[in-house]
Order: sequence, then structure tokens, then C-alpha cells
Amino acid sequence: MQVSWLRRLALLVGSMLVLSPAPAQMEVPELSHTLTRLAQPVAAPDFVIEDMDGEPHSLQDYRGKVVLINFWATWCPPCRREMPSLESLYQKFRDQPFAVLAVNQWESPDHVFSYMGDLSVFPTFPILFDRKSEVSEAFGVKGLPTSVVIDKQGRVVLRAIGGRDFAHPEIERTIRELVE
Amino acid sequence: MKMVYPRCCLLLLLCLPLIVGGEVRHHRSPETGLSSWKVEDRGFSLELVQLVPNYVKAVFASRGLPPEVVAEVGGYCVFGTIVRNLSDAPLSNLVADWRYITADGVAHAPKTKSAWVAEWRERGVAFRWLMLPEDQTYEAGDWGQGFTTVKLPPGTVFELAYAWSQHGETYRGSIEGLRCGPAEPADG
Repeated sequence: MQVSWLRRLALLVGSMLVLSPAPAQMEVPELSHTLTRLAQPVAAPDFVIEDMDGEPHSLQDYRGKVVLINFWATWCPPCRREMPSLESLYQKFRDQPFAVLAVNQWESPDHVFSYMGDLSVFPTFPILFDRKSEVSEAFGVKGLPTSVVIDKQGRVVLRAIGGRDFAHPEIERTIRELVE
Repeated sequence: MKMVYPRCCLLLLLCLPLIVGGEVRHHRSPETGLSSWKVEDRGFSLELVQLVPNYVKAVFASRGLPPEVVAEVGGYCVFGTIVRNLSDAPLSNLVADWRYITADGVAHAPKTKSAWVAEWRERGVAFRWLMLPEDQTYEAGDWGQGFTTVKLPPGTVFELAYAWSQHGETYRGSIEGLRCGPAEPADG
């Protein structure tokens, strides 16, 4: 049957996609280490979405902290590649007014949970679920991954399109300037 | 000695930087038999990777999208596409201005992400990922990857005329000898 054949292939490719961006010959671009400062910071749109345990998280709850929001999905190869460095950055500033929110697009908690088990570094920051991509839309996100940094006043001040090495000293320095 | 050039020559010299592309690198994977092309053109980096229809269909099916959406995308010539901004100033990738010029001289427009998303929305599907945005501005260090699509049969050979803009200028380049992925993988 066409449908079951397609479903089997989908499962196979779905798991392959977690490991590779596309057929093997595609070069894997290096992760960048720049965050672009917005010429004019804009107020971050508020949202309330749930985490893995169904607990609601509102952006308002993080007011007074620097918040890095990472829009991602399990099928997005650079999202997977940057995740360990995101955890490293989170740990580095854990005791300071800094938060990381990984806002997943379109996927279910069950799917993401099984994906997390395959990661070398398990993220300890909240994973939130934007099932209808409404939050990413409000932030003007067009592609994944995209990250934004919100300052303590609740304004979007930095933006990055494409995968980043968040453990890079340049990014750490930029975050430190905002946190301190 | 004073040299006199016709005005049209002068105009051509002025326009030349806007129409000359960079060097194209072609790679064929010995494992899959599929090809990729990469060009770096004045800070604009573009890479296209052949994909086979079943792979594309499987990618969309594994997102849980309806069979009719999966079948529709599978009927297109799809490339995995990576765009990078290697310059030190913002640039915009103008996918909507790209043209796929086939051997008969016909210039085919791509089906843009906006067109796909609008079509999916009409079917009640809110999905808006996987396709490369056609109106994305990339700051220095930014990059993006996604699918680009055109309605051409598997194996079609064409010249891609690509376009991007920076500092208010539109730049154009081309890659000759691009080929849509085959209907089936070579080992298949």
C-alpha cells in the first residue's frame, strides 16, 4: 500500500533527519558566533505556552531577567547542533538573571521527549511548545533556528538567524554585558 | 591619447558588477549519486543540493502533514538550499526573483514559501516551515537553510539565475547545468 510504504519511509527519514540535514553530500555550514544588535530595540510580545510537563510559562514571569529565546524543531539540523552550546551558556549564567527558553515549533511533547533522549547533552532549560507557531509568528521568525535576546526591560535587543555556537566567548561576552 | 568608447560600453562596464556571478563548485556524492552546487558571490553564499521526490515526500510526511500536501510537494523539483551572509553588511535573498531557465529558453519562476504557506492555510494546515523564506534579510553571520521548489520534472537540466540585494542594489548571478534530482536514487 502506498500510504503505509510512505509512512515507513517517513519514519526512517524522520530519524535520519535528526542526524543529517539532507543527503550526505550537503556541506554542514559552521555555526556562527555573532548576535546582531537591533538598531532600535522593540518590546517583546508576551506569550503563555506550556512546557514538557504542561506547566504554563509566560514571558512576563521572566521580566527583570535577560531571556534568550531559541525557536527550534527536532527536524532542523542546525537546531540540534547548537543545543549543547545553548545548555553550556545557560549553565554559565545559571546563578545570574538569565534564562533560556527553547520554543519548539509544531511538534508534540512526546516527540520532543524521545528526541531529547538522543542528545549528548540533555537541556536543563525549559522547552516550551508553540504548537501553532503563533509565538514565532509574533516574533517575526521566518526560518529555524532563530534566536532573540530580550533585555531586563523586556525589549528584543539581539537577534540571530541560523545556527550559533552559543558557547563562543564573543556570545558569552555579549550576554554578560546585558546581565551585569 | 584619448580613447573614446560608445556610451553603451560605458553603461555595460558600470553594470558588470551587478550581473557577474562567482565561481561555481559542483560536487557529486559517490554514495548517493546526487549532486550539489555551491557559489560564493561577493559575500552571498548559495548552495543547492539535489533531492529525490521520495525523500522530499518523506520529510513532509514525517511532519504529520496531510497526504495531499505531501503529494503536492513531491510533484516539484526540490533542492536543499543553504544561504549564508559572508559579508559584513545585511543582505537579502530574493528567491521570488530567481528564474530557472530550461533548454527551451523558458524562464520558470520558483514556487515561493509564501505561496506554499498560503496554499496550506487554505487546506487548514498552519504549518509554515521547511521552505526557505523568499524575503529573509540576513545580517552578517546569519544563515538559513530550507527547500526551494520549482514545477519541473525530475532530471530537468536548467540554468539558475539567482538574485540578492545589498545596500539597495540588486545583484544577479547564475549557475549553469543544474539538474533536478532523479525520480529515483541511483542505487535505488
